[in-house]
Amino acid sequence: MYRQTRSQFKLFTPLNALVTASWRYIYWLPTAFVVSYYFVNLKIISGRSMQPTLNPDFSLWRDVGLFNRYAIHAKLDFARGDIVALRSPENPNRVLVKRIVGLPGDRVKTLPPYPTPEITVPQGQAWIEGDEPFHSDDSNRFGPVPLALIESRLISVVWPPSRFGHLFRSQPTPSKKNISTPQEHSAYQLAMAELDRQRWRSTRVTAASRNST
Amino acid sequence: MEYSFEPILNTKQLVNLACATHLFLEYVGTVSLMSGPSMLPTLATSGEVVLEDRLTLRLNPKSLTRGDLVVVRSPIDPTTIVCKRVIGLPGDIVCVDPTGVKAPSTEHLLVPKGHIWLCGDNMAYSRDSRDYGPVPIALIRSKLFARVGL
Repeated sequence: MYRQTRSQFKLFTPLNALVTASWRYIYWLPTAFVVSYYFVNLKIISGRSMQPTLNPDFSLWRDVGLFNRYAIHAKLDFARGDIVALRSPENPNRVLVKRIVGLPGDRVKTLPPYPTPEITVPQGQAWIEGDEPFHSDDSNRFGPVPLALIESRLISVVWPPSRFGHLFRSQPTPSKKNISTPQEHSAYQLAMAELDRQRWRSTRVTAASRNST
Repeated sequence: MEYSFEPILNTKQLVNLACATHLFLEYVGTVSLMSGPSMLPTLATSGEVVLEDRLTLRLNPKSLTRGDLVVVRSPIDPTTIVCKRVIGLPGDIVCVDPTGVKAPSTEHLLVPKGHIWLCGDNMAYSRDSRDYGPVPIALIRSKLFARVGL
């Protein structure tokens, strides 16, 4: 039907012409929206709270991440160490990107701004932290957050191109054997630092026996 | 004689239509069935059909007032959805439990930024902010608009 009337529409105002020309794309917006709402979507990550995992200082661009909403929405698949996007408990319009440190029932050693040195994460809540403890608004300031606030999980970084696929590939444990160039050396150091942070995080959490992995 | 049956919408378009309908229900409003004793004098224990208004709070979050009935994702269980009454807004000082069952009736608390205080109408049979504390505004799904009599 639209093809038949197209020639008539061309006579109208420029805006009308624009709508007519792009109608075939506008028509499919509902499907696109549902896919981005329930399956995967792209998000620009701003701020330095996840440094150096995301938005590292040497990068000129802000990272763009591919987020999996299906795992959270439909399967409620939460795991310690996952990087997730969640609505800020203090401001419903803000979305934070943080890492899950503790799940319900875990005992977590908190960091300075939090009043008590240790806390048991209550039922249905999670302890989330940024990788950079000094520039992060996280559970150490506002306490554990409800799991229902978490909306998606980061699959991988897709932009900038040099870091495409970062976090997606499982990183092998760094070995010092085949290092010849300076680039390989710095990559080795970064990987070791990442491993150190991972170990440090896991020493601070006593997993609940019910869902220990 | 042959008829060639041509549907008005093909499969792709049907999917698109279903998505559009879903988005309308998700963002504008929907009809839903309530159950449970926690809102008892206001809403019956079962078979209560209500209209949820999703658009107002999205367009104007400030329109949330004390006394509204809201539908929230439960802060203690991400799979369930509960309906409660808004008692306190951010910055209010609320009495934790006037009945004195779950907390001494003299205990008061400041509702933090970005949170609200929720309470069921049937205080004897309700798990609400008295148990799990203030609830983030981001967990609110919709405001109850009307009850549908059947």
